Amino acid sequence: MITAIAYQQLESLRRQKLFVGLLAVLMVMTALAGLIGWSSHQTILRVYNEALQLLKAEGKPAPPNPFSLKPTLSLLSNMAIYIPLIGALLALVLGHLSLVDDQAEGVGRLIFSRRVSRSSYVLGKMLGAGTTLGFVLIASLAVSAVSLVIANGKVPTTSDFGALMLFYAVSWLYLMLYALIGMVSVLMNHRRAIALLTALGVWLVLTFALPQITSGLRPTESLNPVSSPASTSQAFFKLTAHGRAISISEQYKQASSQILGTTPSEPWTSLAGRVAPIALLVLALGLLTLRLVSQHDYSRGTSNE
Amino acid sequence: MGSPAIQLKGVRHTYDEVEVLHGINLTIEHGEVFGFLGHNGAGKTTAINILTTLIKPTAGTAEVCGHDVMSERGEVTRCIGYLPSDVRLYGHMTAAENLEFFAKLSGVSNPRKAVAETLDYLECAELADLRMGSFSTGMRQRIGIAQAVLHRPKVLFLDEPTAGLDPLGVRHLRETILRLNRDLGMTVFMNTHLLSEVAKVCTTIGVLNHGNLVYKDSIAETTRRFPNEASLEDVYALMQSIPS
Repeated sequence: MITAIAYQQLESLRRQKLFVGLLAVLMVMTALAGLIGWSSHQTILRVYNEALQLLKAEGKPAPPNPFSLKPTLSLLSNMAIYIPLIGALLALVLGHLSLVDDQAEGVGRLIFSRRVSRSSYVLGKMLGAGTTLGFVLIASLAVSAVSLVIANGKVPTTSDFGALMLFYAVSWLYLMLYALIGMVSVLMNHRRAIALLTALGVWLVLTFALPQITSGLRPTESLNPVSSPASTSQAFFKLTAHGRAISISEQYKQASSQILGTTPSEPWTSLAGRVAPIALLVLALGLLTLRLVSQHDYSRGTSNE
Repeated sequence: MGSPAIQLKGVRHTYDEVEVLHGINLTIEHGEVFGFLGHNGAGKTTAINILTTLIKPTAGTAEVCGHDVMSERGEVTRCIGYLPSDVRLYGHMTAAENLEFFAKLSGVSNPRKAVAETLDYLECAELADLRMGSFSTGMRQRIGIAQAVLHRPKVLFLDEPTAGLDPLGVRHLRETILRLNRDLGMTVFMNTHLLSEVAKVCTTIGVLNHGNLVYKDSIAETTRRFPNEASLEDVYALMQSIPS
């Protein structure tokens, strides 16, 4: 029963233009992240080579190649931005589409007039969403790996590939959070447009508002991961800076930067500390989805007496 | 078959502190085609929602094929088929894909075969590979009936099945109901406003007035009992005039 529901969801999403469009954008952005990394790599290398010739002419010692000091995966640093932007939007839409027809179009009446329990239904939907996001991220991983090979001119090492897999595993968890937000939003709103707008509102708060509030309104904070908050003179922002732990988007970006090696090296325990709030929130939203579905009145369809 | 197909005993239901069913008692035997009549808001859909396990009665007991809708939900859902009013399935999937999904949910052992056989039986195999988003009301209704009978249920619930259908669609639906009842022995429970169809299809009728069952008898007995009423419409009007 659970797999039948999950399979139906996969088949259904595959045919929805909105979902396919967002998926295409994510793939393009993944390729773009590699391209931007490759482009900056080439520019820095050119400047380095020119500097090297000048230094050689002046008889001065040559500094080491900057790329020998930089982790290979740092070329994909923009992925830590694209996932919370495009990936999270894709996951929101996925969560929304997973439940909206069953509720707004009354298909749920037909599903629950069969031997389907509410828990099987929720587990099926979550399995479907998780599998879909898994496929999406595997495709993105493949594009990233190819980009790395092209940019670096060599195959990533096993350790690099392991780190890349870890980055995508954390990204999967982060995106599941948004898929569940999309589902919860459908269950809490009767109208499909309001449900999608509510989910988008939550995405805006988590992606833009919360990182800024907890960083003293630094404009770049909502996009780029910054290892420590800006020093603030105002007492309010000094206080809100303590809330960085609940800024989920920030936690994800910090964790991603740590895995991709774009921020100074930190112990792995700090990575666990950053992923834990995301995992806890996914668990909480999963339980909330189950509770809402259990209490939902699916007898009210498109028309009712 | 010892137990009746459907049995309601003192069933009450309350929505937001408003009681919409006031202790209904109703028995429908196997093989009957039962027409459930009543004005808008009388509580007909609520009764179907209880019998299809979508909602729980506030009080009383409801049984389908001898199984309690609350404590034996699994057994009840196994023996029923349900077609709601204004049926909508997944519009971006084909009719066959939609039906296969519902066949799997019904525990049908070979979903693809069951879908093909059902579409053939209902004479709508040509719709199998078309996406349902492009379907007219009549086409949706035919696939809706197919999803309801895929697993060959013993009792079929139809909620306002003629709503939005053109005269040909109504005739086709009538013939389908009669075939399902005759060939497969399905008991049919049908909520409807279309009294002319009730007279042609149903063996028994019940009239619900503001949540109270004010009349229940066979069509033959009804016409015998009300010899002065020219049509079923007149009988219905008479029943509706009874204070609730």
